[in-house]
Amino acid sequence: MKHINPEIGDQLAADYVLGTMPTRTRQRFEAILKTNPQLRKVVAAWEARLTPMASSAPEVVPPRHVWNTIQKKLFGKHSQEPEMQQTWWSSLGFWRAATGFTTIMLVVSGLLVLTPAAEDPAAIPTIDPATDSMMVVIMEDMQTQSPAMTVSWESGATNLDNRVLRLRVIGHAEMAPDTAWELWMVPHDDSAPVSLGLITTHELQVLRVPQALAQPLDEAWGLGMSVEPKGGSPSGKPTGPMLYRGKCIMA
Amino acid sequence: MNLPNDVNSATQIATKTGVNQTTHANPPTKEQLAALLSRCVLHDQKAFAALYEASSPKLFGVAVRITRRRDWAEEVLQESFVKIWHHAGSYDSDKSAPMTWMTAIVRNRALDWLRRPREVRTSEEQEALLSAIPDEGPGPEDLASLAADARNLHECMEHLSDDQKRSITLAFFHGLSHGELAEEMGKPLGTVKTWIRRGLDRLKGCIDGLERK
Repeated sequence: MKHINPEIGDQLAADYVLGTMPTRTRQRFEAILKTNPQLRKVVAAWEARLTPMASSAPEVVPPRHVWNTIQKKLFGKHSQEPEMQQTWWSSLGFWRAATGFTTIMLVVSGLLVLTPAAEDPAAIPTIDPATDSMMVVIMEDMQTQSPAMTVSWESGATNLDNRVLRLRVIGHAEMAPDTAWELWMVPHDDSAPVSLGLITTHELQVLRVPQALAQPLDEAWGLGMSVEPKGGSPSGKPTGPMLYRGKCIMA
Repeated sequence: MNLPNDVNSATQIATKTGVNQTTHANPPTKEQLAALLSRCVLHDQKAFAALYEASSPKLFGVAVRITRRRDWAEEVLQESFVKIWHHAGSYDSDKSAPMTWMTAIVRNRALDWLRRPREVRTSEEQEALLSAIPDEGPGPEDLASLAADARNLHECMEHLSDDQKRSITLAFFHGLSHGELAEEMGKPLGTVKTWIRRGLDRLKGCIDGLERK
């Protein structure tokens, strides 16, 4: 069904949202919805009109076991546990125990030697690991839970207007056609992730940080990398799915 | 510089999500809920816990209201939050408020529960259906606390005839087809269909008019 008379489409959408469609008609309608974005819009408009009717239902606090079951279903754990499994490379103890210099060199050595042709290496501030403080994020592949990319930068008050992130993609990652990889800063509070820009699958990359983000980045919880439509997220917020994620670690 | 300190707040939230939960002094704003949803896309479990904390009493209330059974409502809430986590990336703040989006997910799951084979619905439940209907809307004193979209809807519902209002409310909360509604209300199918069609038309015109203001 390519074209639906707008008036009939509107009536069907209203019946669908209100819930008066008989089961079989509803299933057929849902099949059409999957391929008809115009009709999806009409349905969304009816949902926006009618759903507030539910606000007349009084609030009821759900019993605690509901939350536990959700946690278990999604993350296979109970609620009290920390939100992310600690792996050796993301544990603070590991970074503290390792002598700063060798550890940092281990992570970022390749980045110091090579930079993409697009950037003039001379224009990128060099890092003296002996004196400057560094932030390092070891981003884990969400599926395999193994390190997939490292991101590091020189933190603190210096270079706020000239800050760069050094990225190293580990292994041979592939990007699906017509998609983009977008890097996000995840703030420490509950505010929304902030885009740091699009990245590629190249092993070594340098990403310039807008001046306004330089300081928030030092205080961020971590970074995330999501797959977005070509050109990046249309809404300015991640739409997913999420591929890599990691916490900020001060090295 | 602050070292990552994420575990504390996550456990605080987790311990609060129990039976002793109190209502928020300041309900979270649309923007806050939208921010939490966008963090869920990046698999932020702490944000998910905060989202649950902020929205679950409202959403569980909707599930209880529709299923009329706490055990069903619990299943519905669980399934809904699993869906919210997996589909957070498809939430579009241009199209709807976060609460509207989540409520639609809960209501659809709840209606799916009701639409399972009818043998499971006992005759008491059938009777309870009708007796539960009389006064659905919040009293006038509650109106000020409602979100703008709910206030608009409430105002527009007032313009409907009693029959239109009642048939639409019954359908909304119970997912009854036209035929089932006719049976429940003891009226001819054509009559009920007309009430609903005219009622919905009127609602659409009224709500869209208020939104343009």
